[in-house]
Amino acid sequence: MDSVVNVAALLVFPGGLFVIAAGLFYEWIDRKIIARLQNRLGPRWFQPFADTVKLLAKEEIVPERVNPILFVALPLTALAGALTAALYVPMAGLKPAFSFPGDLIVTVYMLSLLTLCTGLAGATTRDRFSLVGATRTLTQLFAYEAPFLLALLGPAIAAGSWQISEITAYTETHVWILVTQPIGFIVALIGLMGKLELPPFDSPEAETEIVAGALTEYSGRGLAIFHLGKGVELVIGLTLITSFYLGGLSNPLAFVLKTVGLLVVLAALQSLMTRLRIDQTVGLWWRYGALLVLVQWLILFVIQIV
Amino acid sequence: MTNLNLSDEWNGILLKLKKWARINSPWAIHYNSGSCNGCDIEILATLTPRYDAERLGVKLQGSPRHADVLICTGPVTLQSRDRLRRIYEQMPDPKFVVAVGSCAISGGVFQGCYNVVGHIDEVIPVDAYVPGCPPRPEAIIDGLVKLLTALKQGDPPPTERPTELELENYDAATI
Repeated sequence: MDSVVNVAALLVFPGGLFVIAAGLFYEWIDRKIIARLQNRLGPRWFQPFADTVKLLAKEEIVPERVNPILFVALPLTALAGALTAALYVPMAGLKPAFSFPGDLIVTVYMLSLLTLCTGLAGATTRDRFSLVGATRTLTQLFAYEAPFLLALLGPAIAAGSWQISEITAYTETHVWILVTQPIGFIVALIGLMGKLELPPFDSPEAETEIVAGALTEYSGRGLAIFHLGKGVELVIGLTLITSFYLGGLSNPLAFVLKTVGLLVVLAALQSLMTRLRIDQTVGLWWRYGALLVLVQWLILFVIQIV
Repeated sequence: MTNLNLSDEWNGILLKLKKWARINSPWAIHYNSGSCNGCDIEILATLTPRYDAERLGVKLQGSPRHADVLICTGPVTLQSRDRLRRIYEQMPDPKFVVAVGSCAISGGVFQGCYNVVGHIDEVIPVDAYVPGCPPRPEAIIDGLVKLLTALKQGDPPPTERPTELELENYDAATI
Protein backbone atom coordinates (compact mmCIF):
# COMPACT_ATOMS: atom_id res chain seq x y z
CA MET A 1 0.00 0.00 0.00
CA ASP A 2 2.80 2.34 0.92
CA SER A 3 4.55 1.74 -2.38
CA VAL A 4 1.32 2.52 -4.28
CA VAL A 5 1.03 5.83 -2.45
CA ASN A 6 4.68 6.61 -3.20
CA VAL A 7 4.29 5.84 -6.90
CA ALA A 8 1.16 8.00 -7.02
CA ALA A 9 3.09 10.81 -5.32
CA LEU A 10 5.80 10.51 -7.99
CA LEU A 11 3.55 10.26 -11.04
CA VAL A 12 0.27 12.00 -10.24
CA PHE A 13 0.33 14.29 -7.20
CA PRO A 14 2.28 16.35 -6.18
CA GLY A 15 4.97 15.27 -8.68
CA GLY A 16 4.27 14.30 -12.29
CA LEU A 17 0.96 15.14 -13.92
CA PHE A 18 -0.39 17.63 -11.40
CA VAL A 19 2.64 19.87 -11.37
CA ILE A 20 3.03 19.71 -15.17
CA ALA A 21 -0.62 20.74 -15.62
CA ALA A 22 -0.20 23.49 -13.02
CA GLY A 23 2.94 24.67 -14.85
CA LEU A 24 1.05 24.98 -18.15
CA PHE A 25 -1.80 26.81 -16.43
CA TYR A 26 0.50 29.25 -14.64
CA GLU A 27 2.36 29.89 -17.89
CA TRP A 28 -0.95 30.84 -19.47
CA ILE A 29 -1.79 33.22 -16.59
CA ASP A 30 1.63 34.82 -16.97
CA ARG A 31 1.28 35.30 -20.74
CA LYS A 32 -2.31 36.53 -20.42
CA ILE A 33 -1.48 39.14 -17.78
CA ILE A 34 1.47 40.42 -19.82
CA ALA A 35 -0.78 40.61 -22.89
CA ARG A 36 -3.44 42.56 -20.98
CA LEU A 37 -0.81 44.94 -19.62
CA GLN A 38 0.35 45.52 -23.21
CA ASN A 39 -3.27 46.23 -24.25
CA ARG A 40 -3.61 42.96 -26.19
CA LEU A 41 -6.15 40.16 -25.99
CA GLY A 42 -3.53 37.55 -25.28
CA PRO A 43 -3.44 33.79 -25.81
CA ARG A 44 -6.40 31.45 -25.26
CA TRP A 45 -6.46 29.36 -22.09
CA PHE A 46 -5.28 26.15 -23.75
CA GLN A 47 -2.38 27.84 -25.58
CA PRO A 48 0.56 26.36 -23.58
CA PHE A 49 -1.03 22.91 -23.80
CA ALA A 50 -1.47 23.21 -27.57
CA ASP A 51 2.13 24.42 -27.91
CA THR A 52 3.42 21.43 -25.95
CA VAL A 53 1.37 18.85 -27.87
CA LYS A 54 2.43 20.37 -31.17
CA LEU A 55 6.10 20.31 -30.21
CA LEU A 56 5.81 16.71 -29.02
CA ALA A 57 4.27 15.73 -32.36
CA LYS A 58 6.95 17.47 -34.40
CA GLU A 59 10.06 15.99 -35.95
CA GLU A 60 13.09 16.05 -33.65
CA ILE A 61 16.25 16.97 -35.50
CA VAL A 62 19.52 15.81 -33.93
CA PRO A 63 22.14 18.13 -35.41
CA GLU A 64 25.41 16.90 -36.85
CA ARG A 65 28.48 16.46 -34.62
CA VAL A 66 26.40 16.24 -31.46
CA ASN A 67 26.48 13.39 -28.97
CA PRO A 68 22.97 11.97 -29.58
CA ILE A 69 22.65 10.32 -26.15
CA LEU A 70 23.51 13.56 -24.37
CA PHE A 71 21.23 15.51 -26.69
CA VAL A 72 18.23 13.33 -25.79
CA ALA A 73 19.10 12.78 -22.12
CA LEU A 74 19.62 16.43 -21.10
CA PRO A 75 15.97 17.60 -21.36
CA LEU A 76 14.80 14.45 -19.58
CA THR A 77 17.28 15.04 -16.73
CA ALA A 78 16.16 18.65 -16.45
CA LEU A 79 12.47 17.69 -16.19
CA ALA A 80 13.25 14.88 -13.76
CA GLY A 81 15.13 17.29 -11.49
CA ALA A 82 12.27 19.79 -11.49
CA LEU A 83 9.68 17.05 -10.81
CA THR A 84 11.77 15.65 -7.95
CA ALA A 85 11.87 19.10 -6.37
CA ALA A 86 8.05 19.11 -6.43
CA LEU A 87 8.00 16.22 -3.95
CA TYR A 88 9.56 18.29 -1.15
CA VAL A 89 7.46 21.46 -1.33
CA PRO A 90 3.96 21.97 0.17
CA MET A 91 2.24 21.72 -3.23
CA ALA A 92 -1.41 22.92 -3.27
CA GLY A 93 -1.20 23.77 0.43
CA LEU A 94 -0.90 20.14 1.50
CA LYS A 95 1.98 18.55 3.38
CA PRO A 96 5.06 17.69 1.28
CA ALA A 97 5.02 14.11 -0.02
CA PHE A 98 8.51 13.43 1.30
CA SER A 99 10.46 15.27 3.95
CA PHE A 100 13.80 15.00 5.71
CA PRO A 101 16.03 17.44 7.62
CA GLY A 102 17.85 19.67 5.13
CA ASP A 103 15.52 19.09 2.17
CA LEU A 104 15.52 22.83 1.47
CA ILE A 105 19.06 22.60 0.09
CA VAL A 106 18.20 19.53 -2.01
CA THR A 107 15.12 21.26 -3.46
CA VAL A 108 17.00 24.42 -4.41
CA TYR A 109 19.75 22.42 -6.13
CA MET A 110 17.22 20.17 -7.89
CA LEU A 111 15.76 23.36 -9.35
CA SER A 112 19.22 24.42 -10.53
CA LEU A 113 19.51 21.17 -12.48
CA LEU A 114 17.26 22.64 -15.18
CA THR A 115 19.56 25.62 -15.70
CA LEU A 116 22.62 23.39 -15.65
CA CYS A 117 21.09 21.05 -18.26
CA THR A 118 20.13 24.02 -20.44
CA GLY A 119 23.71 25.26 -20.29
CA LEU A 120 25.12 21.85 -21.14
CA ALA A 121 22.59 21.45 -23.96
CA GLY A 122 23.82 24.70 -25.45
CA ALA A 123 27.46 23.77 -24.99
CA THR A 124 27.18 20.35 -26.67
CA THR A 125 25.84 21.70 -29.95
CA ARG A 126 28.22 23.31 -32.44
CA ASP A 127 26.02 26.30 -33.05
CA ARG A 128 27.58 29.65 -32.14
CA PHE A 129 24.31 31.08 -30.84
CA SER A 130 23.70 28.19 -28.47
CA LEU A 131 27.31 28.46 -27.27
CA VAL A 132 26.89 32.14 -26.42
CA GLY A 133 23.53 31.31 -24.83
CA ALA A 134 25.08 28.52 -22.77
CA THR A 135 27.84 30.82 -21.54
CA ARG A 136 25.29 33.41 -20.51
CA THR A 137 23.01 30.83 -18.86
CA LEU A 138 25.83 29.47 -16.72
CA THR A 139 27.17 32.97 -15.92
CA GLN A 140 23.71 33.97 -14.76
CA LEU A 141 23.45 30.77 -12.70
CA PHE A 142 26.55 31.79 -10.75
CA ALA A 143 25.15 35.29 -10.34
CA TYR A 144 21.71 34.64 -8.83
CA GLU A 145 22.23 31.27 -7.16
CA ALA A 146 24.00 32.47 -4.01
CA PRO A 147 21.72 35.46 -3.21
CA PHE A 148 18.61 33.35 -3.94
CA LEU A 149 19.72 30.58 -1.62
CA LEU A 150 20.72 33.09 1.08
CA ALA A 151 17.32 34.76 0.77
CA LEU A 152 15.56 31.43 1.24
CA LEU A 153 17.73 30.65 4.25
CA GLY A 154 16.49 33.79 6.05
CA PRO A 155 13.13 32.22 7.02
CA ALA A 156 14.98 28.97 7.72
CA ILE A 157 17.09 30.72 10.35
CA ALA A 158 14.01 32.37 11.83
CA ALA A 159 12.30 28.97 12.07
CA GLY A 160 15.44 27.26 13.32
CA SER A 161 15.19 24.42 10.80
CA TRP A 162 16.33 23.56 7.27
CA GLN A 163 13.34 21.31 6.66
CA ILE A 164 10.67 22.80 4.38
CA SER A 165 7.71 21.31 6.28
CA GLU A 166 8.97 22.72 9.60
CA ILE A 167 9.61 26.17 8.12
CA THR A 168 6.09 26.14 6.65
CA ALA A 169 4.64 25.15 10.02
CA TYR A 170 6.54 28.07 11.58
CA THR A 171 5.40 30.63 8.99
CA GLU A 172 1.76 29.55 9.32
CA THR A 173 1.71 30.31 13.02
CA HIS A 174 3.72 33.55 13.02
CA VAL A 175 3.35 36.96 11.40
CA TRP A 176 4.17 37.00 7.66
CA ILE A 177 7.93 36.93 7.15
CA LEU A 178 7.40 39.46 4.34
CA VAL A 179 6.83 41.97 7.17
CA THR A 180 9.79 40.95 9.32
CA GLN A 181 12.28 40.32 6.47
CA PRO A 182 11.22 42.57 3.55
CA ILE A 183 14.71 42.73 2.00
CA GLY A 184 14.95 38.94 1.85
CA PHE A 185 11.58 38.77 0.09
CA ILE A 186 12.63 41.21 -2.62
CA VAL A 187 15.88 39.33 -3.24
CA ALA A 188 14.07 35.98 -3.34
CA LEU A 189 11.46 37.31 -5.79
CA ILE A 190 14.05 38.78 -8.13
CA GLY A 191 16.12 35.61 -7.70
CA LEU A 192 13.17 33.60 -8.97
CA MET A 193 12.94 35.90 -12.00
CA GLY A 194 16.63 35.30 -12.68
CA LYS A 195 16.20 31.57 -12.25
CA LEU A 196 13.34 31.44 -14.74
CA GLU A 197 15.17 33.78 -17.15
CA LEU A 198 12.22 36.16 -17.24
CA PRO A 199 12.69 39.77 -18.38
CA PRO A 200 14.73 41.77 -17.36
CA PHE A 201 17.04 38.78 -16.81
CA ASP A 202 16.39 37.12 -20.18
CA SER A 203 19.73 37.86 -21.81
CA PRO A 204 20.55 34.08 -21.95
CA GLU A 205 17.70 33.64 -24.44
CA ALA A 206 17.65 37.11 -25.97
CA GLU A 207 15.88 36.46 -29.27
CA THR A 208 17.01 39.75 -30.78
CA GLU A 209 20.70 39.00 -30.21
CA ILE A 210 21.39 35.27 -30.05
CA VAL A 211 18.33 33.68 -31.78
CA ALA A 212 17.05 31.51 -28.92
CA GLY A 213 20.06 31.08 -26.67
CA ALA A 214 21.14 27.65 -25.51
CA LEU A 215 18.07 25.90 -26.94
CA THR A 216 18.54 27.20 -30.50
CA GLU A 217 19.27 23.72 -31.92
CA TYR A 218 16.46 21.95 -30.05
CA SER A 219 13.31 21.10 -31.94
CA GLY A 220 10.22 19.05 -31.19
CA ARG A 221 10.36 16.79 -28.16
CA GLY A 222 13.49 18.19 -26.48
CA LEU A 223 12.19 21.74 -26.68
CA ALA A 224 8.77 20.67 -25.35
CA ILE A 225 10.35 18.94 -22.36
CA PHE A 226 12.52 21.96 -21.55
CA HIS A 227 9.38 24.14 -21.72
CA LEU A 228 7.53 21.79 -19.36
CA GLY A 229 10.48 21.85 -16.98
CA LYS A 230 10.42 25.63 -16.92
CA GLY A 231 6.69 25.65 -16.13
CA VAL A 232 7.22 23.18 -13.29
CA GLU A 233 10.03 25.33 -11.95
CA LEU A 234 7.76 28.39 -12.03
CA VAL A 235 5.15 26.63 -9.89
CA ILE A 236 7.71 25.29 -7.40
CA GLY A 237 9.48 28.64 -7.10
CA LEU A 238 6.18 30.44 -6.44
CA THR A 239 5.20 27.78 -3.89
CA LEU A 240 8.52 28.07 -2.06
CA ILE A 241 8.43 31.86 -1.84
CA THR A 242 4.77 32.05 -0.80
CA SER A 243 5.15 29.34 1.83
CA PHE A 244 8.26 31.02 3.25
CA TYR A 245 7.45 34.72 3.01
CA LEU A 246 3.67 35.06 2.60
CA GLY A 247 2.45 33.31 5.72
CA GLY A 248 2.52 29.70 4.57
CA LEU A 249 0.02 27.64 2.60
CA SER A 250 -2.53 26.07 4.91
CA ASN A 251 -5.10 24.98 2.30
CA PRO A 252 -5.54 24.76 -1.51
CA LEU A 253 -7.48 28.02 -1.66
CA ALA A 254 -4.67 29.92 0.06
CA PHE A 255 -2.23 28.23 -2.32
CA VAL A 256 -4.09 29.40 -5.43
CA LEU A 257 -4.73 32.94 -4.13
CA LYS A 258 -1.19 33.58 -2.89
CA THR A 259 0.74 32.02 -5.78
CA VAL A 260 -1.44 33.70 -8.42
CA GLY A 261 -1.10 36.99 -6.54
CA LEU A 262 2.67 36.63 -6.61
CA LEU A 263 2.52 35.69 -10.30
CA VAL A 264 0.65 38.93 -11.04
CA VAL A 265 3.49 40.86 -9.39
CA LEU A 266 6.03 38.88 -11.44
CA ALA A 267 4.15 39.55 -14.69
CA ALA A 268 3.89 43.27 -13.92
CA LEU A 269 7.63 43.44 -13.22
CA GLN A 270 8.32 41.59 -16.49
CA SER A 271 6.34 44.00 -18.61
CA LEU A 272 7.75 47.04 -16.80
CA MET A 273 11.44 46.41 -17.36
CA THR A 274 13.70 45.94 -20.33
CA ARG A 275 16.46 43.44 -20.75
CA LEU A 276 19.72 43.88 -18.82
CA ARG A 277 23.07 43.02 -20.37
CA ILE A 278 24.69 39.93 -18.86
CA ASP A 279 27.39 42.00 -17.12
CA GLN A 280 24.71 44.28 -15.65
CA THR A 281 22.83 41.20 -14.38
CA VAL A 282 25.92 39.80 -12.68
CA GLY A 283 26.80 43.22 -11.27
CA LEU A 284 23.28 43.70 -9.92
CA TRP A 285 23.36 40.37 -8.12
CA TRP A 286 26.78 40.57 -6.55
CA ARG A 287 26.88 44.31 -5.84
CA TYR A 288 23.35 44.69 -4.50
CA GLY A 289 21.54 41.34 -4.17
CA ALA A 290 24.15 39.50 -2.13
CA LEU A 291 24.97 42.59 -0.06
CA LEU A 292 21.31 43.31 0.73
CA VAL A 293 20.63 39.77 1.84
CA LEU A 294 23.73 39.83 4.05
CA VAL A 295 22.46 43.05 5.66
CA GLN A 296 19.17 41.22 6.23
CA TRP A 297 21.03 38.35 7.92
CA LEU A 298 22.95 40.80 10.11
CA ILE A 299 19.71 42.41 11.31
CA LEU A 300 18.27 38.94 11.92
CA PHE A 301 21.27 37.83 14.00
CA VAL A 302 21.32 41.07 16.01
CA ILE A 303 17.60 40.70 16.82
CA GLN A 304 18.02 37.03 17.73
CA ILE A 305 20.96 37.76 20.05
CA VAL A 306 19.25 40.75 21.66
CA MET B 1 4.36 5.07 -31.15
CA THR B 2 2.38 3.83 -34.14
CA ASN B 3 4.06 0.39 -34.03
CA LEU B 4 2.73 -0.45 -30.58
CA ASN B 5 -0.45 -2.18 -31.85
CA LEU B 6 -2.66 0.69 -30.80
CA SER B 7 -6.24 0.31 -31.83
CA ASP B 8 -7.47 2.38 -34.75
CA GLU B 9 -9.76 4.35 -32.49
CA TRP B 10 -6.93 5.40 -30.21
CA ASN B 11 -4.80 6.30 -33.23
CA GLY B 12 -7.65 8.42 -34.56
CA ILE B 13 -7.88 10.34 -31.28
CA LEU B 14 -4.11 10.90 -31.29
CA LEU B 15 -4.22 12.15 -34.88
CA LYS B 16 -7.07 14.52 -34.04
CA LEU B 17 -5.17 15.85 -31.02
CA LYS B 18 -2.05 16.38 -33.12
CA LYS B 19 -4.00 18.21 -35.81
CA TRP B 20 -5.79 20.37 -33.24
CA ALA B 21 -2.50 21.33 -31.59
CA ARG B 22 -0.89 22.06 -34.96
CA ILE B 23 -3.71 24.37 -36.00
CA ASN B 24 -3.78 26.20 -32.69
CA SER B 25 -0.09 26.85 -32.29
CA PRO B 26 1.56 28.04 -35.51
CA TRP B 27 4.93 29.44 -34.46
CA ALA B 28 6.34 31.62 -37.18
CA ILE B 29 9.73 32.69 -38.44
CA HIS B 30 10.17 35.61 -40.75
CA TYR B 31 12.71 35.80 -43.57
CA ASN B 32 13.31 38.63 -45.98
CA SER B 33 14.92 37.30 -49.14
CA GLY B 34 15.33 40.65 -50.88
CA SER B 35 12.21 42.63 -50.13
CA CYS B 36 12.04 46.44 -50.00
CA ASN B 37 11.02 46.18 -46.29
CA GLY B 38 7.44 47.29 -46.97
CA CYS B 39 6.00 43.82 -46.33
CA ASP B 40 8.30 43.29 -43.33
CA ILE B 41 6.93 46.38 -41.63
CA GLU B 42 3.39 45.10 -42.25
CA ILE B 43 4.31 41.70 -40.76
CA LEU B 44 5.69 43.42 -37.68
CA ALA B 45 2.50 45.48 -37.51
CA THR B 46 0.57 42.20 -37.52
CA LEU B 47 2.42 41.13 -34.39
CA THR B 48 1.89 44.40 -32.50
CA PRO B 49 -0.89 44.85 -29.89
CA ARG B 50 -3.26 46.42 -32.47
CA TYR B 51 -3.72 43.10 -34.31
CA ASP B 52 -2.24 40.75 -31.67
CA ALA B 53 -1.46 37.54 -33.52
CA GLU B 54 -0.86 35.78 -30.19
CA ARG B 55 -4.62 35.35 -29.77
CA LEU B 56 -4.38 32.85 -32.66
CA GLY B 57 -1.36 31.19 -31.07
CA VAL B 58 1.15 32.82 -33.41
CA LYS B 59 4.51 33.44 -31.78
CA LEU B 60 7.49 34.86 -33.62
CA GLN B 61 10.49 32.59 -33.11
CA GLY B 62 14.12 33.41 -33.69
CA SER B 63 15.31 29.92 -34.53
CA PRO B 64 14.10 27.96 -37.59
CA ARG B 65 14.27 24.81 -35.43
CA HIS B 66 11.38 26.11 -33.30
CA ALA B 67 9.15 27.34 -36.11
CA ASP B 68 6.25 25.79 -38.04
CA VAL B 69 5.47 28.55 -40.52
CA LEU B 70 8.07 30.33 -42.62
CA ILE B 71 6.82 33.77 -43.60
CA CYS B 72 8.75 34.93 -46.67
CA THR B 73 8.78 38.36 -48.20
CA GLY B 74 10.32 39.73 -51.35
CA PRO B 75 11.76 38.24 -54.51
CA VAL B 76 14.62 35.78 -54.09
CA THR B 77 17.94 37.38 -54.91
CA LEU B 78 20.91 35.33 -56.08
CA GLN B 79 22.63 35.92 -52.76
CA SER B 80 19.72 34.89 -50.54
CA ARG B 81 18.67 31.81 -52.55
CA ASP B 82 20.94 29.40 -50.67
CA ARG B 83 20.12 31.01 -47.33
CA LEU B 84 16.38 30.71 -47.91
CA ARG B 85 16.74 27.06 -48.88
CA ARG B 86 18.93 26.39 -45.85
CA ILE B 87 16.44 28.00 -43.45
CA TYR B 88 13.66 25.91 -44.99
CA GLU B 89 15.69 22.73 -44.58
CA GLN B 90 16.56 23.57 -40.96
CA MET B 91 12.87 23.62 -40.00
CA PRO B 92 11.48 20.37 -38.55
CA ASP B 93 8.50 18.69 -40.27
CA PRO B 94 5.62 19.45 -40.62
CA LYS B 95 6.42 22.90 -41.99
CA PHE B 96 4.53 25.45 -44.05
CA VAL B 97 5.51 28.46 -46.09
CA VAL B 98 3.52 31.66 -46.52
CA ALA B 99 4.63 34.04 -49.28
CA VAL B 100 3.70 37.62 -48.41
CA GLY B 101 3.54 40.41 -50.98
CA SER B 102 3.52 40.76 -54.75
CA CYS B 103 7.28 40.24 -55.08
CA ALA B 104 7.12 36.95 -53.20
CA ILE B 105 4.35 35.76 -55.53
CA SER B 106 5.65 36.86 -58.90
CA GLY B 107 8.89 38.78 -58.46
CA GLY B 108 6.94 42.02 -58.67
CA VAL B 109 8.82 45.04 -59.92
CA PHE B 110 12.08 43.13 -59.54
CA GLN B 111 11.07 40.57 -62.16
CA GLY B 112 13.88 40.03 -64.65
CA CYS B 113 16.52 41.90 -62.67
CA TYR B 114 20.06 40.63 -63.27
CA ASN B 115 20.47 39.71 -59.57
CA VAL B 116 17.06 38.16 -58.93
CA VAL B 117 16.20 34.46 -59.22
CA GLY B 118 12.44 35.08 -59.17
CA HIS B 119 9.53 34.37 -56.88
CA ILE B 120 9.61 32.24 -53.73
CA ASP B 121 8.19 29.01 -55.13
CA GLU B 122 11.01 28.73 -57.64
CA VAL B 123 13.18 27.94 -54.61
CA ILE B 124 10.95 26.31 -51.96
CA PRO B 125 7.34 25.00 -52.02
CA VAL B 126 4.78 27.60 -50.89
CA ASP B 127 1.52 26.73 -49.08
CA ALA B 128 -0.27 30.07 -48.99
CA TYR B 129 0.00 33.36 -50.88
CA VAL B 130 -0.86 36.81 -49.57
CA PRO B 131 -0.98 39.36 -52.40
CA GLY B 132 -0.59 43.10 -51.95
CA CYS B 133 2.08 45.75 -52.20
CA PRO B 134 2.39 45.69 -49.26
CA PRO B 135 -0.52 43.56 -47.94
CA ARG B 136 -2.30 45.01 -44.93
CA PRO B 137 -2.01 43.19 -41.57
CA GLU B 138 -5.64 42.03 -42.02
CA ALA B 139 -4.63 40.39 -45.30
CA ILE B 140 -1.68 38.62 -43.66
CA ILE B 141 -3.90 37.29 -40.86
CA ASP B 142 -6.45 36.25 -43.51
CA GLY B 143 -3.75 34.32 -45.39
CA LEU B 144 -2.63 32.58 -42.23
CA VAL B 145 -6.22 31.68 -41.27
CA LYS B 146 -6.77 30.27 -44.79
CA LEU B 147 -3.69 28.09 -44.38
CA LEU B 148 -4.93 26.85 -41.00
CA THR B 149 -8.45 26.23 -42.33
CA ALA B 150 -7.03 24.17 -45.17
CA LEU B 151 -5.09 22.14 -42.62
CA LYS B 152 -8.22 21.66 -40.52
CA GLN B 153 -10.27 20.36 -43.44
CA GLY B 154 -7.48 17.94 -44.25
CA ASP B 155 -7.19 19.24 -47.79
CA PRO B 156 -3.74 19.64 -49.16
CA PRO B 157 -2.98 23.35 -48.70
CA PRO B 158 -3.38 25.39 -51.88
CA THR B 159 0.00 25.10 -53.55
CA GLU B 160 -0.98 26.54 -56.93
CA ARG B 161 0.03 30.05 -57.64
CA PRO B 162 -2.83 32.53 -58.06
CA THR B 163 -3.47 33.37 -61.72
CA GLU B 164 -2.80 36.83 -63.10
CA LEU B 165 -6.58 37.38 -63.32
CA GLU B 166 -7.06 36.54 -59.65
CA LEU B 167 -4.28 38.92 -58.74
CA GLU B 168 -5.88 41.70 -60.79
CA ASN B 169 -9.29 41.11 -59.22
CA TYR B 170 -7.85 41.09 -55.71
CA ASP B 171 -8.96 44.19 -53.88
CA ALA B 172 -7.22 44.79 -50.59
CA ALA B 173 -9.79 47.41 -49.63
CA THR B 174 -12.57 44.79 -49.39
CA ILE B 175 -10.88 42.97 -46.52
